[in-house]
Amino acid sequence: MQAYQADIAKLESTDTQVFGLSVDSVPANREFAKQIGITFPLLSDFKRTVVKDYGVFNEEQGFGNRATFVIDKEGIIRHIDEGNVAIDPSTAIETCNVLNRKKASQ
Amino acid sequence: MYTRSFLSVVLLAAVSIVALAQQKPPVKTHLKVGDPAPDFTLRATDGKTYKLSDFNAKKNVVLAIYVLAFTGG
Repeated sequence: MQAYQADIAKLESTDTQVFGLSVDSVPANREFAKQIGITFPLLSDFKRTVVKDYGVFNEEQGFGNRATFVIDKEGIIRHIDEGNVAIDPSTAIETCNVLNRKKASQ
Repeated sequence: MYTRSFLSVVLLAAVSIVALAQQKPPVKTHLKVGDPAPDFTLRATDGKTYKLSDFNAKKNVVLAIYVLAFTGG
């Protein structure tokens, strides 16, 4: 999350909304955001429906695996990072840049 | 006979190597690039409720799913 925070300006400049998402409650996420200085919204998937829809729910441990999805303006998934690579936002940023360039040239 | 058992050892080794190479994180999403993103409506830390499809035709969305708060990363 800190890595995304560090690159938030880069992401927002590509006409992109960034969300964090976990299965924690809203108050737990607020505390987390405050402690590590997150300014983008953290979504609370308390019922675990979204992590299941996105196929990143870890049944054994009861929480979401780490993953990043980049979704374009048509609601189509354009990039997926899973596991520890998802900590690094650089490929997500690059995808957003490409999406924007595509849009600009249309 | 001898050749056959040798072959099965080679085959077994090959299968094991492939299996090892495919070891990935425990859960792998069924979603693929090009799939429509499943819609959601969720509450966020800023007190607002966000619906993914509200961003259609407006903004790209980066959804960073993390394990649990207070786990770092």
